Amino acid sequence: MEQLETFIVESPDATGAKATKILIQDSLADLSLNRVIGRLKVFVDPVEPVFIFTALLRLGSPAVKLKDFAIVDMGTLGKDEVKIELQRETFAVKLLNKLWAKYGKENIEQPDKKIIIVKTDPMKELDVLKELVIEEPQAEVLDRLIDAVALRIIPEGFRVRKHELSTSHILFVASEDTLKPEWIAKAKDMLNSLRSEDNA
Amino acid sequence: MLEPIKYVGGVYKHNHLIELVEDLGGYILQKNVMQTEVVLLMLVPMIDMPIVEAKSKELLGKLTRAPLTGTEIATVAPTLAFHHLPHLDCDIAEFLRQHGAKTNMVGLARGVGKRICQVTAYERDLINEHDLAVFILGNYEHCIIEKSKRLYEGIEIPVVVTGAPELRTEDVPNATAYVGSFGRILHHMRHSEELRTLDKLALVIGNVLDDVRKELAKDPPAVAPPRIKKEIEEQIPEINDSLHPLPIALQMNGARVKLPYEEYHEQVENIKFVEGVTLKEVALVLPSKMRNFILIKALPKSETGFVI
Repeated sequence: MEQLETFIVESPDATGAKATKILIQDSLADLSLNRVIGRLKVFVDPVEPVFIFTALLRLGSPAVKLKDFAIVDMGTLGKDEVKIELQRETFAVKLLNKLWAKYGKENIEQPDKKIIIVKTDPMKELDVLKELVIEEPQAEVLDRLIDAVALRIIPEGFRVRKHELSTSHILFVASEDTLKPEWIAKAKDMLNSLRSEDNA
Repeated sequence: MLEPIKYVGGVYKHNHLIELVEDLGGYILQKNVMQTEVVLLMLVPMIDMPIVEAKSKELLGKLTRAPLTGTEIATVAPTLAFHHLPHLDCDIAEFLRQHGAKTNMVGLARGVGKRICQVTAYERDLINEHDLAVFILGNYEHCIIEKSKRLYEGIEIPVVVTGAPELRTEDVPNATAYVGSFGRILHHMRHSEELRTLDKLALVIGNVLDDVRKELAKDPPAVAPPRIKKEIEEQIPEINDSLHPLPIALQMNGARVKLPYEEYHEQVENIKFVEGVTLKEVALVLPSKMRNFILIKALPKSETGFVI
């Protein structure tokens, strides 16, 4: 799936649809989300009023955990400590910040550039530390996506909203009035049609 | 007859031009010094234009007509959220400023939606203090028309509406004029066709204001607003210490003075003109809805019986 392979804005009001298309392009570009969205379909009917936004996503790499770039092991025998030996320094700064926040600065030592000692109970904390998430590119992208869709693209007056968000798709239905079930059904149909393009 | 003119040129010797205009009986409305450049907004007597043009040529400056000079315009957005700011609203406000108007941006508290939009009494009064209001609306024809039915209720000044579809003014209820090709735009307006749209907006606003001027001329204000400004500057020296961008903002039939009402309104009321009248005989001095400023509205000739 290429970036923005499908980009359709449907509306009974053709001028409005054109303006909305430019508006979506602008907000996606502002938040550098162009690469994230594979297919996008929007339906707007100002008379009803309803705004439906559906998209298939192509998110980047998964979350980076501590065990992915470091060896986490028991420290010196008889002491309550965990030894982290970094293999790559890329995430060192982020890791230190996370450790300081979790264990306090006084409990972290860095005797060498690539070695970090955490003073804590190794029995309990060893596995927790191995699974510690250092960076979550996907979550960051999703945050930005929500910012774009919910806070910039959907008309501001449409305060009644229903959304679905996963790592593979995003679906928003918004209106000024109570949402009708057929709108939600329409949104699901739109999403399915995007998916079927995928299989074709 | 005074001609509204904008001068852009170097700081060097620009005071020669100021003195020339003042000697000719014109008024300097605004002076902005930006590093080595100076921008002057002024009213020049039409018959003396060749002299001013010659002086400006001598100083290597540029003179342009600024038809919106001496007006205060409210640019109203449904809210101050990301949906409307910064691009479109600021672009419009800044563009009108370049044409000589003083623009104030107003973000409504509950202006969103076609069914749920509201204007509070305070917002309405604040907007009514201006000469003209520009309502910046969105992309859909249906929404613009529905919204226009209720949003401008109680607004007595001319209302110019912008939006994406190309509608006729008659189709937009309660609007004095409508300008299309705007809509909700989330990028800086800098392409040539976008700049043309902005030019069109300035033109439409200029025409609406000309109509207002014609109406005003039928029963002219007893004192010209630039004179009020000049006398305040000479008789209340504190105004020169005000750090507001435009301490006295001119309107078509009055002025907004950025001094606290409680402390200064008596001093303002008692300003003397050489004709022997005080300001309170020819104008109303009112508390403004904007902060605690003073709003001066000149009385029409039909009420005072004379024009100074």
